[in-house]
Amino acid sequence: MKFSYSWLCDHLETDKNANEIGEALTNLGLELESLTDYSEYSKFVVATIKDFRKHPNADRLNICKVDDGTNTYQVICGANNVKKGLKGIFAKDGMYIPGTQINLKKGKIRGEISEGMLLSERELNLSDDHEGIIELLDDFENGTSAVEALKLNDPIFEIGITPNRGDCLGVRGVARDLSAKGVGKLKPLNFKKINQLEFASPIIWNINNDDNSCEYVVSRYFKNVNNSKSPEWLQKKLISLGLRPINALVDITNYITIDLGRPLHVFDADKIGKKLDMRLANANERILALDNKEYTLDKNTTVIADGNNALAIAGIIGGDLSGCTDDTKNVFLEVALFNPNSVAQTGRSLGINSDARYRFERGLDKNMVIEGLEYASYLINKICGGLVSKNIEAGKLENFEHKINYNFDYFNKTIGLELDPQKQIKILKDLKFQINKSNEKECEVLVPPWRNDVKNKIDIVEEIIRIYGYENIKQSVPSASIEEIDKIDNSSSNKKFKSIKKLKKTLISNGISEVITFSFHSIRAQEILKGDKSLKISNAISDDQSYMRNSMIFNHLESAELNFKKGFKNIQLFEIGPIYNSSQSQENILSLLISTEENINSIYKSEEFNFYSLTELTSILISSLNFDIKQFNILRSTSNTYHPGQSAELLMGKKLIARYGKVHPLIMEEFSKLKNCFAIELFFENLPIDSISRANNINILDSQFQFSEKDFSFLFEKEQNLYEVQRYVKGLDKNLIKNVEFFDLYVAKDLGDDSKSVTFRVTIQSKEKTLEEKDLEQLHKNILEKVSNKFKAKIRS
Amino acid sequence: MDIKKVLNEVTKEIEQSSSQQELQNVKVAYLGKKGKITELLKSLKDLSLEEKKSSGSKLNLLRIEVDNLIKNKFNDLKIEEINSKLKNEYLDISFPPPNSIASKAHPISKTFDEVITIFGSMGYSVAEGPDIETDFFNFSALNIPENHPAREMQDTFYIDDKDKEGKPYVLRTHTSPVQIRTLLNQKPPVKIIAPGRTYRCDSDSTHSPMFHQVEGLFINENANMGDLKGTLIEFCKQFFNVQNLKVRFRPSYFPFTEPSAEMDIAYEIVNNKIQLGQGDRWLEILGCGMVNPIVLENCNVDTNTYQGFAFGVGLDRITMLKYGLTDIRSFFSGNLNWIASNGFTIGEF
Repeated sequence: MKFSYSWLCDHLETDKNANEIGEALTNLGLELESLTDYSEYSKFVVATIKDFRKHPNADRLNICKVDDGTNTYQVICGANNVKKGLKGIFAKDGMYIPGTQINLKKGKIRGEISEGMLLSERELNLSDDHEGIIELLDDFENGTSAVEALKLNDPIFEIGITPNRGDCLGVRGVARDLSAKGVGKLKPLNFKKINQLEFASPIIWNINNDDNSCEYVVSRYFKNVNNSKSPEWLQKKLISLGLRPINALVDITNYITIDLGRPLHVFDADKIGKKLDMRLANANERILALDNKEYTLDKNTTVIADGNNALAIAGIIGGDLSGCTDDTKNVFLEVALFNPNSVAQTGRSLGINSDARYRFERGLDKNMVIEGLEYASYLINKICGGLVSKNIEAGKLENFEHKINYNFDYFNKTIGLELDPQKQIKILKDLKFQINKSNEKECEVLVPPWRNDVKNKIDIVEEIIRIYGYENIKQSVPSASIEEIDKIDNSSSNKKFKSIKKLKKTLISNGISEVITFSFHSIRAQEILKGDKSLKISNAISDDQSYMRNSMIFNHLESAELNFKKGFKNIQLFEIGPIYNSSQSQENILSLLISTEENINSIYKSEEFNFYSLTELTSILISSLNFDIKQFNILRSTSNTYHPGQSAELLMGKKLIARYGKVHPLIMEEFSKLKNCFAIELFFENLPIDSISRANNINILDSQFQFSEKDFSFLFEKEQNLYEVQRYVKGLDKNLIKNVEFFDLYVAKDLGDDSKSVTFRVTIQSKEKTLEEKDLEQLHKNILEKVSNKFKAKIRS
Repeated sequence: MDIKKVLNEVTKEIEQSSSQQELQNVKVAYLGKKGKITELLKSLKDLSLEEKKSSGSKLNLLRIEVDNLIKNKFNDLKIEEINSKLKNEYLDISFPPPNSIASKAHPISKTFDEVITIFGSMGYSVAEGPDIETDFFNFSALNIPENHPAREMQDTFYIDDKDKEGKPYVLRTHTSPVQIRTLLNQKPPVKIIAPGRTYRCDSDSTHSPMFHQVEGLFINENANMGDLKGTLIEFCKQFFNVQNLKVRFRPSYFPFTEPSAEMDIAYEIVNNKIQLGQGDRWLEILGCGMVNPIVLENCNVDTNTYQGFAFGVGLDRITMLKYGLTDIRSFFSGNLNWIASNGFTIGEF
């Protein structure tokens, strides 16, 4: 909402300046978004080009002699409208130019001295116009300030209106609120009612809508008007807000929309039928609107129509064919009360954001219907002449009556501040609320008709504190109770965030950086990774963000590719965040991506990253969550995200704990720049929260007795799960077998296709004594026998 | 027998030994079972008591001295040997390592952590809710009915799937639905924060279709607007690490709070940089207010007994302000250079 200082003063008698008013607006909840005050432009002055000649070294530049009333300056100017006698706006050496944000400096341009600048509108931030320098049409004396010459002495306020404050979508409403804050006195509306309503309107109304989208409409017919340009005062007002004056009739309706917040519409009476209907549109009915666009309507749209033709979309926009032009002789004025809901719905479905819609959907002051009618009639009659008809109306204008029982204590309890009932009543009265009955404890409040947002007693509290001032609310010191601390300690979400932090620290210390990527998937990713259909976003911004992701791997491959293009060869990144299984199911997981290049460095040559490096990393991550990778069931992953032979899934019961492996070559085809990519997905939410969130305190019992090591080699079936073997061997003697470490795997033709040779080392140590040779031998024998029996394994050594 | 002569002789031989082996030979030749000095000591038995005494002590001193000389020489030879071996083990220490980039935590992670810690110290526990929400939780329960202009304040992403009420799912436009989920699940007192991802269909340098918020909710018998003010000022002081913080609360509107407020922090520009805390310009930090009784009633909370406040803070925004970051899009680009320059090392995190 934009208005000028002088416009505000049409309604408000005040001695406050623009800055003070701006501050009061913000404190009222009418946030000042900008205050354009050009008073500093008085340093720029009117100056005349007395003479000019071509710059000897530059075709497009001219050397001008400029007179600012005191001195003559040499100015190099590149504008194409330079001419002798032109009056423009001049800036001297050292002055700050707001449009270019630089301080002007005297200097040479292509060898010729320039002592100042003639300004364009853009250089003054007045418009985007940079076609040429400002050319003043009126004959101002040189040295006159730019503020005066350009009529910039009226500051412009722009305020943000929250959706509840439809009453402040007119300058008058803003003035009313300011007066309640004590910033000034509200002036009475200054117009005369027309007394001679001489004839009956030849056009009549009929409301014929099924969904009550129009409660009431009232009109007048204006005969023999003379529509042309608006008077200067009206044009100036509109121009001051950046609006383009069109013709008197249109300007008057625009003016009243802004002045009173009351939208109304004028039809050229000769372009419409004699019987007007307020009805629902037919399916696929079309209308060419005043914004020059054609809209296709549906059965939920209320239109104003004559016979068969829709003339206007009710409460939103008029039709082009029935609009008023300079030739309009007879006018039909319409002032209606449309249902906010249906206006909102129609406006949204057609995508029209008009001033009228904006106001109707916030609800209008019912008392302003007749006032708007009278005000518009007065202005039309005064500016365009002619005769005015009697009212023609349809529907019923119900009185606005809303009472609230309010107890003064409620304010104190809500705000934490004692405010005397008399002071509360005074504020409400200043806001033009009526106090019907009151005693020490409570009162009955009658809400004024423009405040349809004030519905309950809590809204009364807000009104009082808004005027009393939020700055007067006393702040108290927050604290935590023992019960609250207890709740935090037991909260599973708090525990989860703790574990996430632990996980992040482990990842970062392993050289992996954290990224956060969008929760979206591209259409392509959705196709490849086969996310649930219920994850489609209906109104996506782009194809890249069309679905909710069911995996982060695609996003991370995109990140990896981006980083690759920036020159990174080995990329390691992770994200902890949500993935979505369907519209009703999401989980937070850790997803990690490692993208490696062929190693060309012969000096710092580390092992090529492979599936086993990845397993080791997975193991480290799982350890940081107080679990041991070997305690889970391991299976080959069936996910089509991964290489089927180089990926694994870890399960606890039926719950998936982790999935990791080399990214499937088919997916990698989408990312041709990248070579070998590995990913880990850790579904940490499937692990018991109490186990993963406790502090790491792995209990390793230290023994002081000698340990012994023995290596075993077996020939197993190829698909034998070695985690199982490991668990089994360890379980053979929990007291003595301290460690079972696998260190060699041999698969070759000579073993046959179905076998693998595996070697592991068993560490044996007692907590009580140094073991004797015969004890050890017995244990070795036991291991050999039991393992070969249990797993049908051949002993190799 | 001349002890001095023997000493000279053996000293010379020790000095001339160039390897541990040679030295060992010298040791054997003098101190071995049949060594010269050993022999001399043996020969003492043939001497008179008087001579035994004087020669014996001299010979013993000789033996000790020779033994020491040999030990020292052994040491010298060992050092020499290692040193000569080390000469062959010299590497080119100047061969540059491959480029690496510091691994760091995302600034948002740091903010999440700080927010949880600061509000934790005020008694707020963490609550969560899903990103894909129903119309009820995201809007209607929060007093934002259909066709209400407040819905237009937030450009909503819709999902191609409908909930039980037959309304399309939405991507939550704020973290406020967690208020409803929590209040329907637990009886007051309730004191929670809910950090998480939020979505609006908007994209430019200050708006991202995905961003982060933290919601706060405190409901008990008497939590009032003064408590709200104190809580948020304390949060900002701690988060921005500014003790002397000039703030402004001004009326605003959210359908789910009444009265509603927005909180601004004063700032000034010093050396082309934003400095928070003082000055006469204002930055909007958060929205808040007393929970609208309509919302409490929607959650079956008795409004005669309970009241309280709620707030919502844009986490990306306060992160940008705290660390002077300018483009929200870079937060979610996965650019490791950006993370390396703006993230946090394990010690800082």
